[in-house]
Amino acid sequence: MRKNGLTDRFFPGVTCRAIAQLRACRLIPEAQVRELCHKARELLIEEGNVVSVDAPVTICGDIHGQFHDLMELFRVGGDVPDTNYLFMGDFVDRGFYSLESFLLLLCLKVRYPDRITLIRGNHESRQITTVYGFYDECIRKYGSANVWRYCCEVFDYLALGALVLGASSALEPTSGTTTTTTTTTMATTTMIDDSELEIEVLNSKGDVTMSSHRPRRQHPSSDASTDSRNNNNNNNNNNNNIGAAPYRSGVPGTGASGDGGGSIGGSRTGAVLCVHGGLSPLIDTVDKIRLIDRKQEVPHEGAMCDLLWSDPDEIEGWGLSPRGAGFLFGGDIVKHFNYKNDLSLIARAHQLVMEGYKEMFDSGIVTVWSAPNYCYRCGNVAAGDYARSNGILGSNDPAADSSAVLSPGRRYRVFEAAAQDTRGMPAKKPVADYFL
Amino acid sequence: MALAVPPPSDRKRVKVYELRNNDWFDRGTGFCTGQIIEDEPRIFVESEDEPNRVLLETKITKDDGYQKQQETLIVWTEPNGTDMALSFQEAEGCAVIWDFVNHVQHHLLSMAAADDALSDDLESYQQIMLPSPELGNLPEIEQVMRAASVSQTGRDALSKYVIKDEYIAKLIPLVTMAEDLESLEDLHRLCNIMKSLILLNDNTIIESVVTDPIILGVVGALEYDPDFPTHKANHRQYLADQSRYKEVVPIKDPAIRRKIRCTWRLQYLKDVVLARILDDPTFSVLNSLIFFNQVEIVNHIQSNAPFLKELFAVFDPRNPDTRRKDDAVQFLHQCAAIAKNLQPGARATLFANFISHGLFAVIAFAVKHPSPAMRTTGIDILVALLDHDPVMMRGYMLKAVNEKKTPLTDTLIDLLHMETDLGVKNQLADAIKILLDPQIPLQDTMGRAGVEYFAKLRPSNLLSDAFVQNHFDESAKRLFQPLKRLEGRSSLHDLTFQEVSLYALLVDILTFFVRQHLFRSRNFIHSESLAPRVAQLLRVPQKHLKLTALKFFRTLISLQDTFYQALMTHNNTFGLILDIVHETMPRDNLLNSACLELFEFIKRENIKPFILHVVEKYREKLLAIHYVETFQNLILRYDQMQGYGATAEGDSALFSSQEEGTPVAAGRAQPNGGQRWQGAKEMDAAEEEYFNTSDDEDEVGLVVEYLSEQHGNESNFQTQWGPNTTAAAAPPIAASPTPNGSASPVVKPLVDYPDDDDEEVEDSMDVKEAEPAEKSGAPESDPSETTTAQTPPERLSEKRRREEEDEDELIKLTSVPKRRSSTSSHGSSTTSSGFMRRRKSLSIGPINVSEKASTTTTTTTTSSRTSVPPKRIAINLGSAAIKTASLETEPDSTKENQTGDGG
Repeated sequence: MRKNGLTDRFFPGVTCRAIAQLRACRLIPEAQVRELCHKARELLIEEGNVVSVDAPVTICGDIHGQFHDLMELFRVGGDVPDTNYLFMGDFVDRGFYSLESFLLLLCLKVRYPDRITLIRGNHESRQITTVYGFYDECIRKYGSANVWRYCCEVFDYLALGALVLGASSALEPTSGTTTTTTTTTMATTTMIDDSELEIEVLNSKGDVTMSSHRPRRQHPSSDASTDSRNNNNNNNNNNNNIGAAPYRSGVPGTGASGDGGGSIGGSRTGAVLCVHGGLSPLIDTVDKIRLIDRKQEVPHEGAMCDLLWSDPDEIEGWGLSPRGAGFLFGGDIVKHFNYKNDLSLIARAHQLVMEGYKEMFDSGIVTVWSAPNYCYRCGNVAAGDYARSNGILGSNDPAADSSAVLSPGRRYRVFEAAAQDTRGMPAKKPVADYFL
Repeated sequence: MALAVPPPSDRKRVKVYELRNNDWFDRGTGFCTGQIIEDEPRIFVESEDEPNRVLLETKITKDDGYQKQQETLIVWTEPNGTDMALSFQEAEGCAVIWDFVNHVQHHLLSMAAADDALSDDLESYQQIMLPSPELGNLPEIEQVMRAASVSQTGRDALSKYVIKDEYIAKLIPLVTMAEDLESLEDLHRLCNIMKSLILLNDNTIIESVVTDPIILGVVGALEYDPDFPTHKANHRQYLADQSRYKEVVPIKDPAIRRKIRCTWRLQYLKDVVLARILDDPTFSVLNSLIFFNQVEIVNHIQSNAPFLKELFAVFDPRNPDTRRKDDAVQFLHQCAAIAKNLQPGARATLFANFISHGLFAVIAFAVKHPSPAMRTTGIDILVALLDHDPVMMRGYMLKAVNEKKTPLTDTLIDLLHMETDLGVKNQLADAIKILLDPQIPLQDTMGRAGVEYFAKLRPSNLLSDAFVQNHFDESAKRLFQPLKRLEGRSSLHDLTFQEVSLYALLVDILTFFVRQHLFRSRNFIHSESLAPRVAQLLRVPQKHLKLTALKFFRTLISLQDTFYQALMTHNNTFGLILDIVHETMPRDNLLNSACLELFEFIKRENIKPFILHVVEKYREKLLAIHYVETFQNLILRYDQMQGYGATAEGDSALFSSQEEGTPVAAGRAQPNGGQRWQGAKEMDAAEEEYFNTSDDEDEVGLVVEYLSEQHGNESNFQTQWGPNTTAAAAPPIAASPTPNGSASPVVKPLVDYPDDDDEEVEDSMDVKEAEPAEKSGAPESDPSETTTAQTPPERLSEKRRREEEDEDELIKLTSVPKRRSSTSSHGSSTTSSGFMRRRKSLSIGPINVSEKASTTTTTTTTSSRTSVPPKRIAINLGSAAIKTASLETEPDSTKENQTGDGG
């Protein structure tokens, strides 16, 4: 696409070298970071607040500077030019290697702009990074705050969300058969078995140690209202089949708000909205996200803040968030939003889930977490007992499967923290000279 | 409870610290006693100032790891996980409390052992014995230690033994022995043993590990990590290198020298040697050891006057030793870095001490240094000072101006203009921002209305407001000189990289100033005619610079201030912004979104002058944009204002004066009965009503008078709009009123959104207004749902974890020094930037001379003076629309291709 030519012309050699260096968990010189951040800025300024991404893509949650787990993730999920990735923010803070992780992702973004999508998390902000470690890491590793400034500048340009779309035409079942290489066979099988979820647990060697199929209806419904929603949902599905839901070829957001939000368009064939936190009471259509001027520090309130800070919760409607920013939102909100915007799913991160991923609200929303053994060194209580696993959500091409199955393929791969010995020696640079 | 020793009841003076975010937070100073209440032994600290306030009340349990550090510190972890420390004034007091704690714990342990038959009383009673330190015994030693480390009692016993027996020192010779024998196996064992010993997390052990005779042996063993059998670290080489320690001025006190060395080793252990294996308790023990050492070192330094004198004497211009100067700068930098962790009081003394010895001269020396790294260091020191106390720094700066010395700001501004290193440049810009921050406490908006009147409200303020304003204007003129020089520039396609970054920083600072203070920036923006220059930047090929310029205008709009409104409507600004929309549409990108947001804001806040101006002048352009509804809605809003004019008469006054050659500013300057100011959110109807009706005319009058003086006469105002404003000279346009004439002006929700979102309508972004209601309304409506009680247990645990983990995120932020928010390029939203937006006072803009006489009368009078029926304009100017529209469409096709040269 348009960006490829742009960046290749720029500095393919330098980028490749930088990627190799960063993959080895070695930092690149400050001048290169500056260069990289400027290139990234040029790229990101061209991206919309909600980026359109074509399936198949592997969607990942919080990384939090856990570089070796990020490498593990690439190893399990496939390397970058071969697999498309979407990272839902929170690249930095807390872990040891925020700089290495973020710079590597940024380098990959500059090198393969269409293969990798980065969206902003609540930790991609000046205020948060000064408290939670990224700022200090920059000072420690580069001796001044310059690199932190460059990175924060890039944070301001990151997109706020992404919309994962099927192939451009849903009516051609063969058009989008490229599924993630690692998933093809299994996914097909599960689809025929009429279960839409598949979980795989992979150990550090990438072997599947456990996999299971979950029939959809076994989802425990938390209260009575869920049932009625379920019914609604079924009805919708039927409608969709009958109406054969002509799939809008453009961005679903763009036309949806005008005609009342996909009264025909079925949620089954719909897109997947990826945001870091969740929904906002100020945003009722994906289109409205477009009307945000995102180039700013994450505000303390308002739509942009909510997208990055909110959490789903077992409530009705909206609730105050204990975090002090964003909101809690209930299943009804999710249902309504998905229906109105022709979405099949909202994928978000932002919350630690032990299992690596967690679906809520009748599979209307999923939380994905990609920092296994979170905070392995953080000063938190019982840090060691936290999530040992993490999730990558691989979204298969919904269109390819739509003829056989009603649902987009979702495939969760859960993997363990990178083994200790793969982490290498910690490369914290000691202070060179000292006076005190 | 029967104890061998009575609880110490005489009061020991003590400071209570609590570890928060790895910083020791001072809870206060008080008197410490040990007491036994209801058979429970407790430590009490009562506040010194308020005797009834209890600073600390903690029950002593047998499990808490109380530790005595140095002579005056007791450190422990509360059952809830908080790390606490008591810092005693005297070692004797510490010892008494420590004895008490020890006795209690001992007693409790023996009781527990007796109570609980299952408890491993062997371990709690028996002392652990380690085999004698010989190579042959290493496997056994390792095994005993591993076994003992499992339980807390085992660890305690082990620590005791290791300390008593000085076991570590005995292990040290084994390292070289094993190395001589090239026995990797033994070395790995030794490494494991050292790790276990350190992870016992005992202060005494850790403190002893970093002492001179032992450290090299310890890190020597740690070089052979069995996890990396093929690697060997070179810690010894690093730590043994004496040349790493630099002494600019020799520190004579041997105890402090030792402390400096130990602290450095502790840091090395923490950051390098143990980085991978540190558990949380050990990490925090290391951190607190480092912290307390640093406090002591810094205290020593600042109380050592001869030392400071000698240190600052290094910077004497006659001293040719530049190397030593550089080192001294770095020394001070390190002091400043350590000072960041100190309590505010201690930090203030340190900085004050430094400043009195001549710290500013040092900064001036450093920021002019040829090496970018040194410049960065110098600015870092400056930033540390600014973070610490910006008001103090401003005071020093103004004092310098008052004494006719060159203020630091001038130096910084000149450097900013010349600086080529981008990192340094950014830092300079940030420092200037803080130093010139127009929003000074106690000296803000009201100052305009009469210095004498308000003087008594701020007696502490030594410098007159006029002086401050004058300095601000002078500095700003100097600062924005490069922007001003853009005036003669015909093409902006050949900007150099340096220019682009400088303009971006300058516009960013300008935006900051405008947002921080309502009036202070007007003078120079007007006299230097900066707005048209920024508008020029809307047409540069570099998109991020475009965006920065756009942000400036977006900020002006949000101020809802007539002066700035006039700036924008006099100019072709909106035309240029619409050009950007045209260029970028219908692609979805950041620039495009930023433009849309700008127009959405105008529509949402119903800022009439802009709606009128934009629709009248650019109707054709607006009509051509279909891919979003924003612009059609804007036209609709305009037509509503025209057609359904309950307020039509008042509104018409605004644009009725826009006949050819007539200064528009005059009409625009009228507050129009407060109608226009309803845009600002967070106002409920009652407040609105209040402001609409109770405008204090006297105050308004005063302000107006002041401003009109400031802005000089009308002709002056008119001539400022440089060559780039051809379109502005053309008369404003209004096309036929209702293109969608039949469209109902009543906005109605198409979809009924549940709950309290009813206001959220499909075709308008009126959502903002719904927000406050929601924030407060939501929790009231579903309080039961938000409690965790109803949720399944699995969620409960998760929620708790989340609260512990993340919930504190914003809360923590509130306690963070606000420094970094000031460095953020665009700050947080205007709501949080803290400027005092006074609706009453902000409605005043430049006043036409002819109008000046009437400004002290009520606003309605003036508007009626200039009012002309609205319909006439619509007809009058209809034909002009086409003419101007064609003037404005300028070719921009080259811009796209040039985005690449940003690097």
